[in-house]
Amino acid sequence: MSRTTFEMRQVSDCIWEIPVSGGMRVPGRIYADEKLMPHIREDKAVEQVVNVAHLRGIVSRSLAMPDIHWGYGFPIGGVAATDPELGGVISPGGVGYDINCGVRLVTSNVERERMEPRIRDLVKALYKEVPSGLGSRGAIGKLSKHELEAVAIDGAAWAVRKGYGTEQDLDHTEERGRLSVADPSKVSPRAVSRGLDQVGTLGSGNHFIEIGVVDEIFDEKTAAAFGLGLNTMTLLIHSGSRGFGYQICDDYLEVMQGAVSKYGIDLPDRQLACAPVESPEGKRYLAAMACAANYAWANRQVMMELAKRTVARTLGSKPHKLGLSLLYDVCHNIAKLETHEVEGQRKTLCVHRKGATRAFPAGHPDVPGAFRAVGQPVLVPGDMGRFSYVCVGTGDVMRETFGSTCHGAGRVLSRSKAKKAAAGRKLAAELDEMGVFVMATGKATLAEEMPYAYKDVTQVVDVMQRAGLANKVVRLRPLGVIKG
Amino acid sequence: MAERPAYTEVEHTADVGVELVAPDLGTALERTAAAMFDLMSDLDRVEERRRVAVAVRGRDGDLPNLLVRWLSELLFVHESEHLLLCTFAITRLEEGVIEATVGGEPFDRSRHDPKVEIKAATYHELRIEEVGSGWAVRVIFDT
Repeated sequence: MSRTTFEMRQVSDCIWEIPVSGGMRVPGRIYADEKLMPHIREDKAVEQVVNVAHLRGIVSRSLAMPDIHWGYGFPIGGVAATDPELGGVISPGGVGYDINCGVRLVTSNVERERMEPRIRDLVKALYKEVPSGLGSRGAIGKLSKHELEAVAIDGAAWAVRKGYGTEQDLDHTEERGRLSVADPSKVSPRAVSRGLDQVGTLGSGNHFIEIGVVDEIFDEKTAAAFGLGLNTMTLLIHSGSRGFGYQICDDYLEVMQGAVSKYGIDLPDRQLACAPVESPEGKRYLAAMACAANYAWANRQVMMELAKRTVARTLGSKPHKLGLSLLYDVCHNIAKLETHEVEGQRKTLCVHRKGATRAFPAGHPDVPGAFRAVGQPVLVPGDMGRFSYVCVGTGDVMRETFGSTCHGAGRVLSRSKAKKAAAGRKLAAELDEMGVFVMATGKATLAEEMPYAYKDVTQVVDVMQRAGLANKVVRLRPLGVIKG
Repeated sequence: MAERPAYTEVEHTADVGVELVAPDLGTALERTAAAMFDLMSDLDRVEERRRVAVAVRGRDGDLPNLLVRWLSELLFVHESEHLLLCTFAITRLEEGVIEATVGGEPFDRSRHDPKVEIKAATYHELRIEEVGSGWAVRVIFDT
């Protein structure tokens, strides 16, 4: 693997700047400390930060969060905002194939002592009830095309209407689980056909459902506002828009290949193919991408409800008696039109977050009423053996990163290397030893997703906190996991 | 049962890719398809019980595009027909055109060994070119 090196200046404890050179329109900025930087330099993620800085209409900086790693076109952990008024572009590569891949966290009043002895039963029951792995389908029966259109338009609200969850869940979901620019007429029949029987399914790769406990509280006041009590059970769900979203991304990468020549856009990497936000191609992609985003919210809403019912049944109770309620749902692969302040002016920008989480702070009008005094919950899953974190955005996050922070631990080992490292080891037994009971559909998935394949998420969230972007609220310890 | 194709897995931080060489372009395209499905589930456990005809159009003079479209089409057949594919016979190969008959069987957890779901074939670091001994291909998949 050949790497190009770029001039990088460490401007503070946790910030590295890449000055403008060549075709870059803005500088690059990476949030990392001395410990994380060597990992980041190992692959071509830095080059991708530089490539993103070439995008037409990009504002301020090409940003990378501390969990940055090598992606396609954009790095994973990348944030870029473009100004449509300046011919700013929208790029499917800045969103990713898994449109609105995201995470939701369910809180409860179930004490660790009550749940831990039943962890194997809980994991087995979840594994049975929520389809996972290669070709997972059929959680709730196949939808008609008409019904799928309703999912694409209404998102999580569709699921609630069908009896999966409550109105209150929508208040606790980013964008209330629905992007209103969705237009199913911009979605191909092939995407529809892939989406018909996948609502309520987990998929494979790094997707999971994790049963954990609140293991440490860093900020009592915010933890109380979030309903996170020490030693209580949590459910963390990570999935996205499944084949529906992958196909939409694929279809529009093709559209954008044409747009690149039509609008004379010069790009350092074909996977960054894009079109002006205001162009017909840009608008069509935004409308189709929103359909996939809505599908993902419906998917997580259905899965959460299946998981809540399963957990309650296994513990011989009812979801409401166990206090099982959605804390928040965040997307970490998305492009959205948001209002931000740039050099003293309010502007509508197209914010790409690819492997980055929105982290709107206290007082922001888009933060739901219940959390407005403290800020929107930010969910940062780690690897399946160590921890996950709930954080909250700080006052500076809007100015610094368009209200964005990290989305996870970020890989350090490639999938192939992780598999080699797993040779001859009994991975499930090792995890069991660490106090985590895992069931995975694919053997390879387990090897690829082992803790040693990831950075330590604690280092990642610590950098975010030291950089003044997001503060830790609580730490979650995994006890049981299902993987695809 | 199909045979597992000869390919090398490519190191990539978050995902997985394949590299292979073949004596001619048609074989290179067929073998890349086989390698992609072998990443999902070992092909030596998959049988050809059903066949599907596929036709792919790419941009003129853009071989990387044709390769990505070919693999995308097969991923579409895999998900929409619920088939694990294991045989790939290209019947027509011209500028920007692939026609083929592909075969496989429905995914069966009792016999097949699921590995990882592939979301898409990407242009990232993609390579398809004539080399001394034939054609060399590298594709990275989003997983």
